Amino acid sequence: MSVQRQGRKVAIVGVGYSDVGRNTGLSERHHAAQAAVRALEDAGLQAKDIDGASTWGGDAVDFGWMIGFDDLRWSLNVGVAPAFITPAYHAAQAVAMGHADTVMAFRIMMQQPPSAALASGAAMLGEPSMVDAQFRWPYGNFSPVQWAGLLMNRYMHETGATEEHFARFAEVQRSYAQRNPDALLRDPLSAEDYLAKPYVTKPLRVLDCDYPCDSGSAVIFTTEERARDLRQPMVLVEASALSAIRDMNFELLPDMVRTSPKHCGDLLWSRTDLRPENVSTAHLYDGFSIITLQWLEGLGLCEPGGAAQFVMDGETRLGGKVPTNTDGGAINVGRRHGANFCIEAVRQLRGQCGDRQVAGADVSVWANAVGMFSGAMLLTKG
Amino acid sequence: MDTPLPPAPPDDPLTTFFWEAARRHELHIQRCQSCGTYIHMPRPICRNCQSFDLAGEQVSGRATLYSWTQTYKPFHPYFVERVPYVIATVTLVEQPGLQFMCNLIGIDQANVDAEARMGMDLEVTFQDLGDGYVVPQFKPVGVVL
Ligand SMILES: [Zn+2]
Repeated sequence: MSVQRQGRKVAIVGVGYSDVGRNTGLSERHHAAQAAVRALEDAGLQAKDIDGASTWGGDAVDFGWMIGFDDLRWSLNVGVAPAFITPAYHAAQAVAMGHADTVMAFRIMMQQPPSAALASGAAMLGEPSMVDAQFRWPYGNFSPVQWAGLLMNRYMHETGATEEHFARFAEVQRSYAQRNPDALLRDPLSAEDYLAKPYVTKPLRVLDCDYPCDSGSAVIFTTEERARDLRQPMVLVEASALSAIRDMNFELLPDMVRTSPKHCGDLLWSRTDLRPENVSTAHLYDGFSIITLQWLEGLGLCEPGGAAQFVMDGETRLGGKVPTNTDGGAINVGRRHGANFCIEAVRQLRGQCGDRQVAGADVSVWANAVGMFSGAMLLTKG
Repeated sequence: MDTPLPPAPPDDPLTTFFWEAARRHELHIQRCQSCGTYIHMPRPICRNCQSFDLAGEQVSGRATLYSWTQTYKPFHPYFVERVPYVIATVTLVEQPGLQFMCNLIGIDQANVDAEARMGMDLEVTFQDLGDGYVVPQFKPVGVVL
């Protein structure tokens, strides 16, 4: 049974980024305002056309008032959740159910403190539950990069993937970034360059991590009916899903390599008649590179345990079976916390991706997070 | 040494048993007194039978290595002089999937790939960080620190 099919058909009509960069000096509100204005311009909408807002980062009501939205009929501030998919999923649901007609979903993310500040004690990484942190901190386990190291190592043990597979992954992503003017990292990168970098937490290297930055992203959802009158080629929400399979202690899952993305993928495909083989482009979270591999498998885009070889075989490149992370991924475009995958999927379906356009793209999937929780959305060309 | 210790456990009645046991060099894990399920990290309710009758119980201290990562970058002053170190998740033998996070110690950091083998047998040991802050750790069975 499809949740979304119970309501109105939803379209994505506008997308926008702020001036994303390293330590921009711009406030959270400033990033939200820039992203919103660009998404409105992209859609051909006025601020007063927006009657719903959701965000992770800042406050949706504060943003709406500041930018000059209509009186909001619906709003939501998201806490710790599977990245941008959460405000996006609920925005689409709000439109589908008629709680609002045109909703802007935000992800505003400010750059985290540098590691030198952490090592000196001048700063600490955020921690959602002090009560549980007592079982992590004495062991020097402070950062998500460390659960990612545990996951990556276990994945390599179970599948036979090697550091060379991850080197290829980094090289493929960078080759896309070189075709994307929005990417922050665009210098040529070889597999050898990747392997020459030191470990952050073995087997994981710095080029397995998304690139810290300040970013603002905004995406506008409205009805298919309203979308027909707007500026851009039609992009429709076909299906979406959220999954949560345990609390925030991802490291303690007894099976780290088969987690929420599999559950989420099964839910997603149960809500559509489309199948994994229909997917033209995939836009899969790469907060750490292992996460993209988890999604390739969780969504059934390759064989279980086969994602590393799928990448090695070039199947995620342009011309491969499933061109993946065609914007270069957050490893190269910077940490936009999932929103870049939505926005790039929309641009692929509109045919606006220039040198990196996948010819004839008509079905795109984007997905966020891993482990304890995740979310995915399937989009189609209207 | 004037670097601060890692943040101390909060004053939390739910987890006091764990830290008190560690100071006696015993590993205690929360267990449901109704259905026998072990629960880590401690919670106010049993997720198997929804009983609130929970208590810390001593476990054997035997485990197998599930995964590890060797951290090179310090995220806190205490660890600046201690990198690289190995973070591990281990499966306690008392119950399938009963995962516990710790450091894997008693191995050669320079030879971690050969010495930290997935599935290897481990046993608990105890490390005094200072000021009575004692933490359970795991090491390969038979290794003398
Ligand atoms: Zn119970």
